[in-house]
Amino acid sequence: MPEELRKGFHHELEDVQIDIVRLGQSVIDAIPRATNVLLDSDMEGADILIQGDDELDARSIDLEERCYRLLALQQPMAGDLRGIVAALRIVGEIERSADLLANICKGARRMHGHTLDPKVRGVISRMAEQAQHLFSRAIDCYAEGDAALAAALDDMDDLLDRLQVELIQVIFESHEAGRIDLQVAVQLAVIARFYERIGDHAVNIGNRVRYIINGWMPEHVGAAKFHARGVKADADRLALPQP
Amino acid sequence: MTEVLCALFVVIGFGVGVTVGAKSAVRRVRSVTAEIFPASPLSSGGSLPAALGGLEAASAVARDEAEASRESLGLIRRAMDSLPFGVVVIEQGTAVDWRNTVARNLLRQTRVGMVVSAAVRRQRTAALDGLSTTETISVQGPPERVLVVSGFPIPRDGEGSSGAVIIEDITARAHLEAVRKDFVANISHELRTPVGALALLAETLEDETSPEVISRLSGKLVDESHRVSRIIDDLLELSVLESGPVNQLTSEPVQALVKDARERVRALCAARSITVNTVGVAALDVPCDRRQLVSALSHLIENAVKYSEVGGSVSVRAQQVEMDIEFSVSDTGVGIPAKETRRIFERFYRVDPARSRNTGGTGLGLAIVRHVASNHHGDVSVDSTEGVGSTFFLRVPSVGPPDLGRKART
Repeated sequence: MPEELRKGFHHELEDVQIDIVRLGQSVIDAIPRATNVLLDSDMEGADILIQGDDELDARSIDLEERCYRLLALQQPMAGDLRGIVAALRIVGEIERSADLLANICKGARRMHGHTLDPKVRGVISRMAEQAQHLFSRAIDCYAEGDAALAAALDDMDDLLDRLQVELIQVIFESHEAGRIDLQVAVQLAVIARFYERIGDHAVNIGNRVRYIINGWMPEHVGAAKFHARGVKADADRLALPQP
Repeated sequence: MTEVLCALFVVIGFGVGVTVGAKSAVRRVRSVTAEIFPASPLSSGGSLPAALGGLEAASAVARDEAEASRESLGLIRRAMDSLPFGVVVIEQGTAVDWRNTVARNLLRQTRVGMVVSAAVRRQRTAALDGLSTTETISVQGPPERVLVVSGFPIPRDGEGSSGAVIIEDITARAHLEAVRKDFVANISHELRTPVGALALLAETLEDETSPEVISRLSGKLVDESHRVSRIIDDLLELSVLESGPVNQLTSEPVQALVKDARERVRALCAARSITVNTVGVAALDVPCDRRQLVSALSHLIENAVKYSEVGGSVSVRAQQVEMDIEFSVSDTGVGIPAKETRRIFERFYRVDPARSRNTGGTGLGLAIVRHVASNHHGDVSVDSTEGVGSTFFLRVPSVGPPDLGRKART
């Protein structure tokens, strides 16, 4: 019988992974839709996406509970344990990205009725495309267990960061030329930040995938630098300096 | 979908038949053995050589039939594997479903594979409950995919239930369907708008007495009727182009083609004070249908001029790229949103319907360019950034069919 129990456990692990990939796919699907809401003032689409976010929240909670149940009841080890711990983090990253998309829709609502420069639209659609690309690669590497792809995500994110800087620049220009008012300019700057954050969440997913596969953690890089500086890591030193 | 289901039922039905065949073969061997050995062969009074001979015959029959059923099973497997859609054969109580090649490839450990396999599981449960259901999954990319997953039960005798799930990749078909739907909607819109305007203008004109208003209205009438006739002209040109590739290509100097095309849009350029620069037009010859290629080039230049800001500039290049002559037309206009670049070559497709109305285009220009390109075994593509500008590339092979050299240019 224990063999049968273990089989159920692995099935459940597999199911959790499939459902996380599906959750991620829902976010990938929502990125172009949110961008449509923003660029084509699709207010009906905005309502659908904002409501859809609630469903994603419910699915994330369900996934988290399944992970906790596996931890509590199955006593997973090594790779399985890393898989579940990472899954908990990845669900959080995906859920947060979905929230950001809902925020983009809310921002679009506030800007309703304003027309945007083709230049602004151009950079926004490039950011959206890059965010979508990055996020689907992140889910790809989780589905396929591809540590090399996961490690490449950080470099891919640089382009998105540069686009954010470019968008801010273009927003300034548009505002100076009097084509958008300050309110819209601020909304747009915040939206630029939302897209950029989606990219960061994708990179975080990549980091967790690397952790599943070979135990690598981004914190190790920082810790190694800390040790290289030759400072002894004890609790007193790490505490805040006394005035 | 129905044909697919029928075909599948035939294949699966055949499979069930073979399995039944194998079972009946075993039964027949038993009965043959029973005929030869009414009782136990050794305890009976029959001669041993006769009994052994009978046994040999019986096993030969069994071997042949087993061989035959194995062969047909292999045939069915190969038939299933060569089907252009995924098939998953399911049976209650079995842990592993049988999958054909397409299904195996689709349901791999990938993002799309996992999304599809979740759908297959849902369909599996439904099919084993005796329900036929279908769901469409559209997955954003890259790469973008649209798949239809349908499950249906397979009736069988005895206990347990079985069924099949088929997975079809309809990405290309879904795209074509969208194109067709839009075309029908657009053509009626494009033709109705000017015709409606004509009727309205004519009606107003009827009751009008002021000469000023009459001249303004009749001017508009002329404009709108020109618009209708332009659309009809372009539609006719398009249908000629669609009727197939050109038979007689002549060798034409590239520079003359570009000059002709520029000539056609001279008035428009002047009206919008836009300069067209021809930079790097190589002194080459290109095998083509002169009329078609000039028309395609002028459509590209016309678009570039229309979508540039007043006072802007458009540049035209033509050069040898590998085995092709590549014409490129660049503007510094509004550009095209990235998601639209795939669709702009469709007939009547409009990126921004409100703005296109002002440019006075027919919505058929790029469709004509695309057809000219394909008639010349070339292609057309676009590189565009919204707010920066667009460059259209038209490539046609620089070497025509072998008999070209003999045809003298007139």
